[in-house]
Amino acid sequence: MEFGGRHGIGRRRTVTLAVFGGVLFTLLAAGGAGARTDTRTSTHVTGITVYAAASLTDVFPKIDSGPRYSFGASSTLAAQITQGAPADVFASANTTIPAQLFAKGLVRKPVVFTRNRLVLVVPTSNPAGIRTVYDLRKKGVKLVVAAPAVPVGSYTLQVLKQMGLISVLANVVSRESDVRSVLSKVALAEADAGFVYSTDAKTVPGKVRVLKIPAWAQPKVTYGMAVVSSSSNKADAQRFIKEVLSKAGQKKLFAAGFVPIPKAKSGH
Amino acid sequence: MRKALLAILYFLATAVALAFLTLPLLAIFVHVPPSELIEQLSNPVVTDALIVSFKTTVIAQALVLLFGTPTAYLLATRRFPGRSLCITLVELPLVLPPAVAGIGLLAAFGRAGLLGSSLRSAGIALPFTQSAVVIAVVFVASPLYVRNAIAAFEAIDSNLVAASRTLGADSARTFFRVVLPLARGGLVAGAALAFARGLGEFGATIMFAGSLQKVTQTLPLAIYAEFEVDFDVTLAISALLVLISAVLLIALKLTSLWQPSEQISPSRFDRLSWS
Repeated sequence: MEFGGRHGIGRRRTVTLAVFGGVLFTLLAAGGAGARTDTRTSTHVTGITVYAAASLTDVFPKIDSGPRYSFGASSTLAAQITQGAPADVFASANTTIPAQLFAKGLVRKPVVFTRNRLVLVVPTSNPAGIRTVYDLRKKGVKLVVAAPAVPVGSYTLQVLKQMGLISVLANVVSRESDVRSVLSKVALAEADAGFVYSTDAKTVPGKVRVLKIPAWAQPKVTYGMAVVSSSSNKADAQRFIKEVLSKAGQKKLFAAGFVPIPKAKSGH
Repeated sequence: MRKALLAILYFLATAVALAFLTLPLLAIFVHVPPSELIEQLSNPVVTDALIVSFKTTVIAQALVLLFGTPTAYLLATRRFPGRSLCITLVELPLVLPPAVAGIGLLAAFGRAGLLGSSLRSAGIALPFTQSAVVIAVVFVASPLYVRNAIAAFEAIDSNLVAASRTLGADSARTFFRVVLPLARGGLVAGAALAFARGLGEFGATIMFAGSLQKVTQTLPLAIYAEFEVDFDVTLAISALLVLISAVLLIALKLTSLWQPSEQISPSRFDRLSWS
């Protein structure tokens, strides 16, 4: 069959065009369909950058896979935003850091979007034989905590103070830069114990054993998030925040082990 | 016309390159007035980091020189099966991302590592200790020295060594009185690079040794820790590191130990070879 021209190239070109056109049509149709049935598919806010606490690494992309994410210690991210980093949304593992940024005019008014619990983790092999937080007093225990500027580091200090175990800080062998580094050191069995969030422990099943902290010593771990003032895409940034606060978003957070916020505090 | 255009382009490229390289350094000092710098020298975070950095880098440097020099000499002068493989292995840490180096060190010397149980039975626990910092620094810095040392030893005219031997000096005397002085330029350059690399090591250290003030927190680790706490301290530590590196380089140049590379300065054509 001769379609275009005397040479085989003509026919090849036509076939290529047909295939390409077919693929393009399919994509457009699928894309269009997706836009119309967004109650089923995950919502997509694209074109924004979200700076979020390390503990949100796994759950945020599940809530919305659209944004560009940068995960790290909330304090490091805040410092980067202060230096002018191009973030649209800032999600912190506490409310103090967003409040500080708000006071400096770097973010809009923060909202609380979830809560968490602090736990003590030990490697499954439990080399130091730690069974409760009090066992951390044993001599030679290799305890890893986050640096005090990092939210989880300051929550750790609160817990130790509440339980009268500040002396345990003498067993600290390293002050890590974020919660996931603490988790890794314990999961690798290099450290004997570390303080992380219960949600982090869930990401490495089988590698760590979780030891609960008594409820009366549990600090109020509240996560706050805000639109960054220098954002050029505030509308989408606000949409993202709404997504996280929505029923679907809150469900995903709960499934990951985060603690739901009391209804009154959702701020909307 | 074209010549003038080319000249302008060369000039522009050079100006951009020089500006790009010097601007970050100048910017640090613009942000840190000298009074602030001196004030920060009494900040325990800074002094502790300085002490840890110096102790670990100096010890590491000694180890690098002690083990690296004979290794380089062997690899430079002897031909044996597997020589190229050995040289590649020695150079490997150079191209390895420091974080990977850290993971590798954990995998080898960590508690759950290959040598973990043997070390434990010997009563040695490496991670989170100052020795771990030394090991991390040696691992990332030694290739820089060994590579330069191999090149320096290879560049020595073998006739000079042979002459020394025929004149009655034994291998040891030849090595110390003939080979080392001849290789001096390359060895010192390599050592300086290794020292600077070791001083700035971050990734492997934070992975393998962790970060604890007074114990394992070196200057680069302190910069990282202070970044989110007090940016002024961060700038001060950075300025300090720039000064240390500058002093090192200038000292080497002044004592003319930093010999110019053969490629970028007039080479000495008067090395006669009898072959």
